[in-house]
Amino acid sequence: MKKYLLVLAALAAASGAFAQKLVIKGSDTLGAKLVPSLAEAYKAKHPGVAFEIAAEGSTTGIAAIIDGTAQIGMSSRRAKPTEVSAASAKGVTMKPTIVAYDGIAVVISAKNPLTTLTKRQVEQIFAGDITDWSAVGGTPGTISIYTRNTSSGTYSDFKDLAMKKRDYAGSSQKMAGNEQIVAEVAKNPNGIGYCGLAYMNEPGVKVVSIEGAVPSKASVLARKYPYARPTFYYTNGEPTGEAAKFLDFTLSDEGQKIAADIGFVPVR
Amino acid sequence: MFNLKSKWLALLGTALLAVGPVLAQDSGPLIDLLVKKGLVTDQEAEELRVDLVKDFVANTSAGKLNLSSSLSEFKISGDLRMRHQYETQAPALAAGSTAAKVTNERVRERFRFRLNGDVILQKGWTAGFALETGQAADSGNQTFQGGNDDYSIFLARAYVGWSPNQNWAFVFGKQKQPIYATDLRWDADINPQGASEVYKYFVGSKDTFEVRALQNIFDDRNEVTAGPNGRDAWLFEQQAVYTHWFGKEQLNSVIIAPGFSKYSDSVIASANGTTNENPFTNATAGASPGSTRYLSLMTLAGEANWASINGAGTSFKLYWDSAYNFEAASRVRKVYGLPLGTWNKDAFAWLVGVGYAYGNGKVAGDYSLKLDYRSIGLGSTDVNTSDSDFGFGKLNQEGFKFATSYNVTDFASLGLNYFYTTAQQKNLTYTLANNDHSQLLQLDLLVKF
Repeated sequence: MKKYLLVLAALAAASGAFAQKLVIKGSDTLGAKLVPSLAEAYKAKHPGVAFEIAAEGSTTGIAAIIDGTAQIGMSSRRAKPTEVSAASAKGVTMKPTIVAYDGIAVVISAKNPLTTLTKRQVEQIFAGDITDWSAVGGTPGTISIYTRNTSSGTYSDFKDLAMKKRDYAGSSQKMAGNEQIVAEVAKNPNGIGYCGLAYMNEPGVKVVSIEGAVPSKASVLARKYPYARPTFYYTNGEPTGEAAKFLDFTLSDEGQKIAADIGFVPVR
Repeated sequence: MFNLKSKWLALLGTALLAVGPVLAQDSGPLIDLLVKKGLVTDQEAEELRVDLVKDFVANTSAGKLNLSSSLSEFKISGDLRMRHQYETQAPALAAGSTAAKVTNERVRERFRFRLNGDVILQKGWTAGFALETGQAADSGNQTFQGGNDDYSIFLARAYVGWSPNQNWAFVFGKQKQPIYATDLRWDADINPQGASEVYKYFVGSKDTFEVRALQNIFDDRNEVTAGPNGRDAWLFEQQAVYTHWFGKEQLNSVIIAPGFSKYSDSVIASANGTTNENPFTNATAGASPGSTRYLSLMTLAGEANWASINGAGTSFKLYWDSAYNFEAASRVRKVYGLPLGTWNKDAFAWLVGVGYAYGNGKVAGDYSLKLDYRSIGLGSTDVNTSDSDFGFGKLNQEGFKFATSYNVTDFASLGLNYFYTTAQQKNLTYTLANNDHSQLLQLDLLVKF
């Protein structure tokens, strides 16, 4: 489902001030929960600011910075060399700022008796080498794989972190966002998928440990959880104006508390 | 304040940027390690990564390439060979002929250029191509001639492969020759076109049993014409290959490879585009011109290797190959138009050779020696696929081949090949078998890249 959240702050009509609009595009991981929450808190302090937030995948966020159609590009992955090259060709300087850490949790149906998988098993399942739960000690049944779509940073991060950069199984079903993956896995006893930390504690699913490591704030910070990653705001060079203020707010104690409350791991 | 961390970062940044073109894509683990050790922060590391990538894409040719994300590997390789060739051919004279015996002598300065591109895709898929200077299937050579005219480049390979697991491999298109054989039956330059399948079964820890099959479409015929003239020419070859490892550290091996091959019954006209030195053409009057008929070959090839890992590694090899044509009599009589009362069918072709190698030909100082004796009977095998240099690719020949190579650098080698053949049946003037005796000397300088 295409996720498009448009938040327009009410014009400060009473004061007559002119509303400033901050356009933020990119990662669903960041843009579905965290950034809208940050925006709401920011607006409470800066009522003259309007937000336009589009969470359609990290690729769209980086592309928006290159094209100049957003002031902040949300991304759950690093910019690729081709993207950096395209940016340079247009005179755009890709500037990443880590705003939070995240872990990619592997989720299965709550009805599935499995509790843990090895890294090798995860790779084999998502690459399609293993197609039945019985091969990993589970109840026999054909595994249904749910992944993010190709514009997602989580999609490519998971390939890098968990699959040795192999391609996903041809049978995998591609979902628009973390919430969609979790919803599908919750409905399907043979389902498996992945999502950010902020989305893993939903009814109907459970998180499997990876060789004993469970995704959590502690395991991500200690670099013990294998599928951990930073998440970014990308800007064209050093941010200025409202984008700089919003970035500062994101990194402030208040902003980082919001991130932690939602399920991300603060940068400090 | 310029603290210790800043100094580390500045030093690291300077060092990595200085060698950025080389290291940009490889420095990720180093940066991760520095972060892990607390020498740089995550944020500093991210900024450094971007700087390295920017430097990489701006200042290196590799950084400007945009290859498909489906590629796991793209290998470009090739070689260039300069050859001095000296050859003599003495045509056979018919019995009772009063013509003077002649030995034709020729010296040629030749070269061969090959460029290969092989890609490994995901999910077991592969693809590739090869370009080379020669159009003939059995040679990429060009002779320096034509008043400094330029030379054409031809597509020597274009294939797609799929290997769903470690046991199966399928290849379609114009491909590397998949059959285990010596150049008694398959010239090393030939890239057959069609489809091939290999099934490999692992017996124990190292021994393997393979079944290989090749469906080689030799020529396309217009089916509007009824009979052999309108039938596509296919070569179907299938083979079992067993490899047994033995001895200390299982360095030694024995390979046994029996097989069977047969052409479809088809007629190929000389004007149909084959440029081999000896295509299925030139049959005598009254016979079927250019026929692939009556070739049903039982084959047996193999080798025994004794290897040592001492020094650069040495190996001694005994190898053999053979083919017996069950339809040799019909081949000789009906296709070549030769009466069996006068000429023997000679259904058997065989080769026995020994080889010694110091190193594996990849390091300066490595060298190898090979010597084999072979016999190619009149009705025994297919002149289109056998080595075009032995007796100039003709039937009714026996003799030896000596080959040696010496690596002057890791990538350049000097080579010498010498062939000497004589006719098995004298006074045979049939075009595909009319060498009374021949010699061929090749001196090579080969540079691989």
